Amino acid sequence: MAGDHEIDLRVQIGSSLTLPNPILVASGTFGYAQEMSRWVDVGRLGGMIPKTITPFHRPGNSPWRTVETAAGMLNAIGLDNDGIDGFLTQHLPHFLPLACPLIVSIAGASPDDYVQMTRRLSCEPGISALELNLSCPNVAGGVDFGIEPNTGSRLVEQVRAATQLPLMAKLTPNVSNIADIARAAEDAGADGISVINTLLAMAVDWRKRKPMLGNVLGGLSGPAIKPVALRCVYQVAKAVSIPVIGIGGIASIDDVMEFLVTGASAVQIGTANFLDPTLSLRILDDLPNALRYLGARSVAEVVGTLQ
Amino acid sequence: MAELSSCPGYHYRAAQVVQQVSLGKDTYRLRIQCPQIARAIRVGQFVMVRVHGLQDPLLGRAFAIYDTDEDCLDIAYLVHGKMTHQFELLRPGDQVDIWGPLGNGFSMAPTDHLVMVAGGIGQTPFLAMAQHYLGRRRYGAAEMPADAEPLANRVTLCYGARNAEYFAGLDDFRTAAVELRLTTDDGSLGEKGLVTDALQRVLDENTRADGLRVCACGPERMLASVCELVRSHNLNTDRRIPLEVSLETPMACGIGICFSCVAKIRQLDGSWDYRRTCIEGPVFCGEAIVWD
Ligand SMILES: Cc1cc2nc3c(=O)[nH]c(=O)nc-3n(C[C@H](O)[C@H](O)[C@H](O)COP(=O)(O)OP(=O)(O)OC[C@H]3O[C@@H](n4cnc5c(N)ncnc54)[C@H](O)[C@@H]3O)c2cc1C
Ligand SMILES: Cc1cc2nc3c(=O)[nH]c(=O)nc-3n(C[C@H](O)[C@H](O)[C@H](O)COP(=O)(O)O)c2cc1C
Ligand code: FES
Repeated sequence: MAGDHEIDLRVQIGSSLTLPNPILVASGTFGYAQEMSRWVDVGRLGGMIPKTITPFHRPGNSPWRTVETAAGMLNAIGLDNDGIDGFLTQHLPHFLPLACPLIVSIAGASPDDYVQMTRRLSCEPGISALELNLSCPNVAGGVDFGIEPNTGSRLVEQVRAATQLPLMAKLTPNVSNIADIARAAEDAGADGISVINTLLAMAVDWRKRKPMLGNVLGGLSGPAIKPVALRCVYQVAKAVSIPVIGIGGIASIDDVMEFLVTGASAVQIGTANFLDPTLSLRILDDLPNALRYLGARSVAEVVGTLQ
Repeated sequence: MAELSSCPGYHYRAAQVVQQVSLGKDTYRLRIQCPQIARAIRVGQFVMVRVHGLQDPLLGRAFAIYDTDEDCLDIAYLVHGKMTHQFELLRPGDQVDIWGPLGNGFSMAPTDHLVMVAGGIGQTPFLAMAQHYLGRRRYGAAEMPADAEPLANRVTLCYGARNAEYFAGLDDFRTAAVELRLTTDDGSLGEKGLVTDALQRVLDENTRADGLRVCACGPERMLASVCELVRSHNLNTDRRIPLEVSLETPMACGIGICFSCVAKIRQLDGSWDYRRTCIEGPVFCGEAIVWD
């Protein structure tokens, strides 16, 4: 019986990164290290992805930056972050004592921005991998590298040439064929595909005849988007042979298992952290039993096993 | 970024509703059993609350602490939108998810005369504040000995509402020996006018050069007027009345991880930056806030 054995929760990304377990937390939904360390033992997570950093400090969008919608929320934070310098001096030191892998999410306005940031981050100790945010919908005037296979793959290629670190490409669902983009990223040297970022969306106050967000448009996240995210994981997992990291609406162990059997090797929990800061670790505690239910001795055994 | 305090004692709980009573029109006091937070929370801090098990509404909402005892904490809420309509349906035994204590709280510096200014549901943090200042209750574990001196000799609440029906908890404030200055938009109770008119009168009546402190909570427009009033009063009279303001910026997480709750806060070099009100606030020094 599988239940009598230790369950192997490890997840391999590329040749050099082994995540201790498949429960990660999504960029922009877990703060940096300090905020969440008050609530949970962050070090037990399979990996942590801090809020996307950019070449320079960005104040972010004017409020309102979020609005709740049915079983979800819209956000237009606008990549509010302290910039790479701020990250390295103020935030990185707090990650170093944590046991979990640190995956740094980066975004820029040009391929050169990504390459420069990658070079600098590759010199820093304590960083396990990079996640290329090819998909932030909330930055006015920003180039979206994730909507067209060629632009995306050229970017991944250039970053690939600049670092030994494992690379994950985070894709937007706001495209007509996400599998093509994932395949292009794989061909360009990505070690994993993170899907999905938020869905471009809008909310309106008809009485005031005004959009609810200061930025007008925002990204939809939370339980409402889980079916879309599952669909994307399904399509991407069929198209590539590198690990897929499933993101979108995950709020329970059942959700996690749905993503794993659909083809995700690991998952990231996002919006659900906002309503329960302890959720990611409670899900991690429930994982071995859920795997036992399927008679599995490892996470890898259940990945992509839809029948 | 400001250093975050690394105090232990943050709690996330599914907790039971003990009681729900009406405080005024569309306003209720909800008593929740949560000893860990009830004993630790300080005046001006808040909790996030949501209905257990619901996905719509999804996110928690921020609530000030109206009062506490050993085991329970009370929030007072105005029925307004999605979550508070759900709250109205709660009965003893139902469960809510609650997390806290959150935010910085008021500084609670001693003064001769404390003036609290509230608009609408903004009165909620002030019952605890008044009881604490007048030496009737202590909030926040081990913060002060039980037999401590009062922190103020007088406490006044300037409280504005749409009309008489919307005042909530006036008896609680009277019992706590708070001097009330009420205003309504329609004159149905107290003075007809704005709560800032009441504040202006209190400031004009008390001509002592020092010993006044003002704290305010309510809608943004009201808070901006309070800041302007105190600023110009200080300028014209050469006083230095300290002002603390508790912002009601919309929040999604309450714990500093989503970056939705930002307000423009003046930095040391005079420029402003967006700061998260859930962890660097909700209470700010009046002069620090940049109003649009
Ligand atoms: C620190 C703090 C303390 C608070 N204390 C209290 C308290 O003690 N008592 C109390 O009753 N409330 C308090 N609040 C407010 C409370 O958190 C809720 O906002 C309030 O109860 C309304 O929640 P709701 O779900 O009922 O309304 P919601 O359904 O959330 O709607 C709230 C209103 O905001 C509007 N709105 C929502 N999102 C947007 C947007 N993006 N742009 C424009 N408009 C928008 C809606 O149209 C609606 O009019 C406090 C808030 C803070 C930040
Ligand atoms: C408030 C907020 C901020 C976010 N910021 C980022 C970000 O900076 N970089 C990024 O790659 N994704 C960001 N995301 C997207 C999430 O990482 C995730 O891909 C998305 O929310 C879907 O997952 P969920 O439904 O579990 O939240 C953000 C999401 C939210 C709700
Ligand atoms: S409410 Fe999420 S950061 Fe303040």
